[in-house]
Amino acid sequence: MIEAQGLFKRYGDKTAVNGISFTVHPGKVTGFLGPNGAGKSTTMRMIVGLDTPSAGSVSVNGRRYAEHQAPLREVGALLEAKAFHTKRSAYNHLRAMAATHGIPNSRVHEVIEMTGLGPVAKKRVGGFSMGMGQRLGIAVAMLGDPQTVILDEPVNGLDPEGVQWIRHLARGLAAEGRTVFLSSHLMSEMAMTADHLIVIGRGRIIADAPVSEIIAGRGQLRTRVRTDRPSELLAALGGDGTTSTFLEPDVLEITGPDPRRIAEAALRQQVLVYELTPLQASLEEAYMELTASEVEYSSHDLPLGAQAQDVPEGSRS
Amino acid sequence: MSTSTSTPAAPPGARRSDGPRLSFARVLRSEWIKVTTVPSTVILLACTLVVMVGLAALASWSLQTGQAQLDSGGPPPQMGPPGEPLPDFSDLARGTPSSGIIFGQLLIASLAVVLIASEWATGMIRSTMVAVPKRVPALLAKNVIVAAVSFLIGAAAALLSYVVAQPILAVEDLDFALSDDKIVASIVNTGTYLALIAVISMGIGTLLRNTAGGVVTAVGLFFVLPVIVVNLISGLADWIPDASRFLPTNAGEQLVAVVAEEGALTQLEGGLVMAAWAVVLLVASLLVTRRRDI
Repeated sequence: MIEAQGLFKRYGDKTAVNGISFTVHPGKVTGFLGPNGAGKSTTMRMIVGLDTPSAGSVSVNGRRYAEHQAPLREVGALLEAKAFHTKRSAYNHLRAMAATHGIPNSRVHEVIEMTGLGPVAKKRVGGFSMGMGQRLGIAVAMLGDPQTVILDEPVNGLDPEGVQWIRHLARGLAAEGRTVFLSSHLMSEMAMTADHLIVIGRGRIIADAPVSEIIAGRGQLRTRVRTDRPSELLAALGGDGTTSTFLEPDVLEITGPDPRRIAEAALRQQVLVYELTPLQASLEEAYMELTASEVEYSSHDLPLGAQAQDVPEGSRS
Repeated sequence: MSTSTSTPAAPPGARRSDGPRLSFARVLRSEWIKVTTVPSTVILLACTLVVMVGLAALASWSLQTGQAQLDSGGPPPQMGPPGEPLPDFSDLARGTPSSGIIFGQLLIASLAVVLIASEWATGMIRSTMVAVPKRVPALLAKNVIVAAVSFLIGAAAALLSYVVAQPILAVEDLDFALSDDKIVASIVNTGTYLALIAVISMGIGTLLRNTAGGVVTAVGLFFVLPVIVVNLISGLADWIPDASRFLPTNAGEQLVAVVAEEGALTQLEGGLVMAAWAVVLLVASLLVTRRRDI
């Protein structure tokens, strides 16, 4: 369980996180969605105490992260890829991390197996591909068998197999009753993995709702129709609330009427229809709609992302 | 590749009563693993030992040659600044065990700066501080480890130097016993000196978070500043040469000195002054690290 209250973070005169409050509950995967520079990473860094909030507070399992006796058992965090010394091997990095909590070496071997790092565990981390670095980061996150798992852009640099593995891992952890908090700017990935979404833009929370609700609340019913005589079918549907676009000469995307009404119209008109596919509004569209409105509210500023993008990098290091 | 964790989540209450949790001893162990698992660190430590003993051997060889020259009635060898009376060779000989410090401190200072600054350079510091979110124990443990290692290397190098130097010095009867006045103290304090150099350097590295900047600053403080004082600005005011006794390396020299110089700090004073530098930089680096974002 992660609880943030009125969390603010300013770097100089730039506000990276602008007074956000949210709760991440156990037992499900919560996605943290937003464009680059929206404040996702900064928020996650504040959760594990790397950044100190300018105002507000965030607790994990009821306490500030630093106040826990065994922080690695409370939270496993993958923050940025490559938080490792490049000259040290993956195995030794894990050993050093485990040692701080007296986590036995057997667990080190377990997480190496789990993340598929076995063949490269004794190699220097400096030579790792981004995907391997990501796997090592996840291995570190899993070391303490934590109750809460925070993964910042975990699928970055992973191959398709790795992406699928992350998806299963996140879902598996949530199914075991753990709190899983996962950030991404890939909407499609979130649609597959997350149960609940917190959408952030320009340091503010835009939406905080179950994925299904966010999809349902946005976008209209669309249907893809394949027919020999599209213009006749459109005429039969009538104009009210119906819009259409031609995808191909014989393929239409119709917005408004549901598939049954389209089929009825086709039957009445004796038009042959050989495809009728309901299209779900994608999370991506819902997301674009959400963040687009956020841009409108501040049309005098720089476009979304451009301003905030450099904030965390510039003032850190 | 498995798709779930191998250990299912146990009920929260049961798993926190004992078993894995943070402790300073464990953080120390973690820092020890870190020091020993980066090849360059180990190589640098080995180099320090070799270089220090090698320098001591050279120094004793040089003394032996000088003494031989004197004995054969040749011109007096050039030892030390020109114009000054020739120092007592047997006194100089007693300084050989600690003579490797001149170069050893450069290597130890670099090592200490690199150990902490490289964590920032590579991003490792984020892993470190997420594992030890109170931060101070992690930094303290790193200081303890680097100080202990530097002490051992310094003391071992001085002892080895003593052993290596004796047969060379014996040729001209310049050899001396371990039990001679202040010899053991000089050997042990060679370790103390390097340990304090390490803590001062790590403090600099932590404050600057940058390897190159940290090494340059440490070298400036240890090597350049004393030279500047002696050669360039000592004439500006009477207090300047006086104050220069309190520079870390000038004070530290008295810590390992076998023969006390006139007007210099005593061995104890020298040690305390150098330790004060270390404590101030350590405390500053702890306070700053606790406050700043990682």
